[in-house]
Amino acid sequence: MEQFITSWLGSTPAFAIPLALASMGLVLCERAGVLNMGAEGYMALGAMTAAVLTLTLGNPAIGIICAVLAGAALALLFGFAVVIMRCEQILAGLATMAVGLGIAGVVGRPYVHKSFAGLQPLDLPVLDRIPLIGRLVFNQDILVYLTVLIGVALWLLLERTRAGLKIRAVGEDPASADVAGVQVQVQQLVAITASGALCGLAGAYLSVASSSIWVENMVAGRGWIALALVVFARWDPLKALAGAFLFGAIEALLPRLQAIGVPAPTYLMNMLPYLFTIAVLLVAAWSGSKKGMAPAALGKPYVRQDRH
Amino acid sequence: MSQGSALLTLSAIDKSFDVHRVLDSVSFELANGEVHALLGENGAGKSTLMNILIGVYSADAGTLKLEGKLLKIAKPSDSARHGIGMVHQHFRLVNRLTLTENLLLAADGHPSLKSRSTARDTLLATAREIGFTLDPDCPVGELSVAEKQRAEICKVLALGARILILDEPTAVLTDSEASSMLGAIRRMAESGRSIILITHKLREVVGFSHRVTIMRRGETVAAGLDTGDLSIEKISSLMMGASTSSVSSDKPPGSVRPHGPDLLAISHLHAQRDDGAPALTDVSLRVRAGEILGLAGVGGNGQHELVETLCGIRSASAGSVMVDGADALGLSPRQRRKQGLRVIPADRMAAALVSELDIASNLALTSVVSGRFGWLWLNRRRMERDANASIEQHEIAGARPQGRMGLLSGGNAQKVLLAREIDSGMKLLLAHSPTRGLDIRAAAAVHQRLREAAAGGAACLLVSEDVEEIMALSDRICVISAGRITGELPGDANAADIGRLILGHE
Amino acid sequence: MSNVRLTLERRQRISTLRSTTTYTLGLLIGLACGLLVLLAAGAPASTLLNDLVIQVFFSAMGLAQTLTLAVPLILVGLSATAAMRLRFWNVGIEGQLWLGAIGATLVAINDVGSDSLRLPTMLIMSAIAGAAWIAVPLILKLKAGVNELVVTLLLSNVAYLLLQHLLFGAWKDPVNSFPVSPRYGDNEQLASLGFGNLHSGIYIALGITLLMAILVQKSRTGFYIDVIGHNRPTALATGIPVTATITLMILLSGALAGLAGGLIVTGVEHRLTQTIGINTTFSGIVIAFIARFNPLAVLPTAIVLAGIYNAGGTLKVFYGIPDAIVVLIQGIVLLTLLMIQFFRSYRVSLLRPSIKQPT
Repeated sequence: MEQFITSWLGSTPAFAIPLALASMGLVLCERAGVLNMGAEGYMALGAMTAAVLTLTLGNPAIGIICAVLAGAALALLFGFAVVIMRCEQILAGLATMAVGLGIAGVVGRPYVHKSFAGLQPLDLPVLDRIPLIGRLVFNQDILVYLTVLIGVALWLLLERTRAGLKIRAVGEDPASADVAGVQVQVQQLVAITASGALCGLAGAYLSVASSSIWVENMVAGRGWIALALVVFARWDPLKALAGAFLFGAIEALLPRLQAIGVPAPTYLMNMLPYLFTIAVLLVAAWSGSKKGMAPAALGKPYVRQDRH
Repeated sequence: MSQGSALLTLSAIDKSFDVHRVLDSVSFELANGEVHALLGENGAGKSTLMNILIGVYSADAGTLKLEGKLLKIAKPSDSARHGIGMVHQHFRLVNRLTLTENLLLAADGHPSLKSRSTARDTLLATAREIGFTLDPDCPVGELSVAEKQRAEICKVLALGARILILDEPTAVLTDSEASSMLGAIRRMAESGRSIILITHKLREVVGFSHRVTIMRRGETVAAGLDTGDLSIEKISSLMMGASTSSVSSDKPPGSVRPHGPDLLAISHLHAQRDDGAPALTDVSLRVRAGEILGLAGVGGNGQHELVETLCGIRSASAGSVMVDGADALGLSPRQRRKQGLRVIPADRMAAALVSELDIASNLALTSVVSGRFGWLWLNRRRMERDANASIEQHEIAGARPQGRMGLLSGGNAQKVLLAREIDSGMKLLLAHSPTRGLDIRAAAAVHQRLREAAAGGAACLLVSEDVEEIMALSDRICVISAGRITGELPGDANAADIGRLILGHE
Repeated sequence: MSNVRLTLERRQRISTLRSTTTYTLGLLIGLACGLLVLLAAGAPASTLLNDLVIQVFFSAMGLAQTLTLAVPLILVGLSATAAMRLRFWNVGIEGQLWLGAIGATLVAINDVGSDSLRLPTMLIMSAIAGAAWIAVPLILKLKAGVNELVVTLLLSNVAYLLLQHLLFGAWKDPVNSFPVSPRYGDNEQLASLGFGNLHSGIYIALGITLLMAILVQKSRTGFYIDVIGHNRPTALATGIPVTATITLMILLSGALAGLAGGLIVTGVEHRLTQTIGINTTFSGIVIAFIARFNPLAVLPTAIVLAGIYNAGGTLKVFYGIPDAIVVLIQGIVLLTLLMIQFFRSYRVSLLRPSIKQPT
């Protein structure tokens, strides 16, 4: 039993980290009032970039950094479209998603199915010998620790700093933020770019850390789950982190149940996260509570000279 | 000019929104330590002028000077840096942040407001100085309107404002709250700050301001007059643009036109604003067949909610509305139309016409619902034939049935709406600011149509902020203030009497 | 020049000329960028016209394949049109399509109804299943105000898991080891037209396009859709049946997507597989957007896009350019069209705040 739990929880991060990184990026973006439907594309681009560079240069670190940059660059294109050109956010997000998936597919084509030495778990001496939690907590790759760190940092940023104050204000009420001297467009561009960077990192984790290979449909809808997770987490980065681990744990549980011969309906159980999220939406709508609602200006383009 | 050098001077400011001119060479001057009242009806351009001063809008032309030096204000933070702060009627506070956070947000780059705790302390100190109590740690969205206003004032002062613009500060307050607010305004002026007080209420102007500037239709009609030299009659006539002699002579005396039964009977109607505050309190009105009842009042005193409640878009919290003897409150907008209700809303493009569709469709909108052009398929040809007839009959210049609605001028768009609404099924016509934004000719045409509608036996409720319009058309006049009907006057009442009721000066 | 700055204003009146010009320009720029991307990906310029136009539209086999691919695209384009005309974000077209395919297969596997009516029953069932799948977000939106965007998206994933659950479980074909359903009987397949893989589903798609065009442009409901889509407060105030119209059109949107799934399985695959319908949500939205939400324009748009998908297949075989290029081109065209709308909706003006400044 202990071995089952260790193996289950030990493999949870592999499922949880990409969701956590992407959904935390989207939380940041949505708190700045921008609905970003492009995550799936940024993740694919990040996964491809990291894999291709690791394959050609043999260095996962460079691959991961470039994946972050690639995700950020594509998100910046989206940012230009919605913040500067005031495009409809949902459609522009879908369009950049397609651009990301497309570039990943076309550029990554020659590198498909070539495995490589990816990111290795950190071997923290002594600590990993602590019974039960030792191997769980102290035998993960560096990105796992980084993800938790990012989650806490993001929460601190949003809730405790002036920079976060500005981002929240822009997402709630851009006209008031503008009057208060906040540069609405700059804040949104920064948040969008950062969300792209985090999605790029999420993609890099998929290819370089958890599977050490690049295949074309690698992201497989995780960008959409991340988007749902934002709603599930009520726009809170720490809850997004926790939610990602919850979703990841469910995903990781199923193959293990099957391995020990429990006839679990894998696909039906995989529906649970989606159904949970719908239930959360419904409860939030019915209770009508003001806390943890979507940012008030989410999805609305802001033009200063509109008469408010 | 009794004061010495002016602290702030705005000269020859022009501003247009797209093709619509809202400010035409407007000038304004503010002295040190004064409370300067800025008066004007809704749409006179006061808010636009102030928004230019604080950098929300940019002027098309004109100059701003502070202490004799030319001032360039490109964005709101520029004005804040020069010590100009505004308390908007719609507060510029982010609801889900606390007051301290709202201050920190606005205080970026401010030398002394670096941390949460200094911001909080500054707020509390400012509040003490002008005699307010406030909770700096409560999300602003949970405060009452009066608390929000005090919060906003403290925020602006904590940022170091020397010039404070207050946009209708008492419009949302109860009488006792208003008195204490006006006292605080006086104290702020005595402590060396200059206040621009935008208001409609003559009592406040006379009692609390040093000087008065009056705007009307985007122009300055009186600049910097000493309040002491002005009578209430003088101010209200400058503001309304109506001297008592200008009542139009073509209106038949109220008693001559025979009136029929009550087609609209509103009794003890209560309704709430979107934020849950009371909008209408115990409103009772009746309008008889063949009569125009003018409902005068400054905008934002419940007119909008009254019109929406009568249309069936907003639900009433108590009271009754009878249309031609039958209850209307429980009915949908569609059923109310069947009862004979027709509506000219204040914002026709938002709630009555579809600018993206063609003119024929807009003219046909309601008759399509009633099945005039077929139940399953639409008879376009018949629709366009009808449209052509309407366009010809109502002399809607420049309109073709296939032309896009959004390309018509305001006057012609209003003609389209009137042509549609004033039909054979009409019993009750509800017209809200029907000539707002129209030129004189177009407005005259609209007035003519309203008179014809009443002469044809309809009951007509005219809700308007334009006193001239009310006087020119109404058989009886009621006045609404703070959601209550504050008085009824005969149709031939003079502007001063109406003005006194509207401006809350008994 | 230091005090010159840019300001942005929403245009209050937009002329038809401006709309048309910006749209055409956007489409041309988008397609040009798409071509450049193709060349950059390694498609030889010399044969591009042949691969992209002649082979897919003017050769018999190419045209047959293009039209076959166009059948579901027409339907998902119409599905997106029905929803987007009412500003309803149906981003779960794929889910409704899968449910449609599942519905049709359910009828086939259980031999529901008489043999002669089996095929129509399957198609009707596919439409009903698609409509039922979108009914969930519709009801949640109308009754509880839940945002349809996220719910349609989530249910799409749920539908795919349901599909896999069936294909890896109860419906797995016993004669082979792949996750596909047993092959349909002959009476459960759409007639082949003897023109490549083209099947009689094309008539259904054409007929439905025509019906949609009549519904949208000639019927009273179409009039209501226009008013609700452009100005909902006006629709409410003038007594237009808003809820009924939305319900009808959104269920129709789901039904069309479901039918697209039904036509794929009965016309091409002849069994339920995992690979149908990938990317159809996005393609449907792209088609509807390029067609300016006009059903008759959906038809050529879907056929052209089908041609591009078809050419994508050729490019893959001959030059090793992956399918993803087609998604990339769609993304580029959509993004360009969206961005160019800026010049339609806004006025940018150079402003000198102190024009009247006395010297």
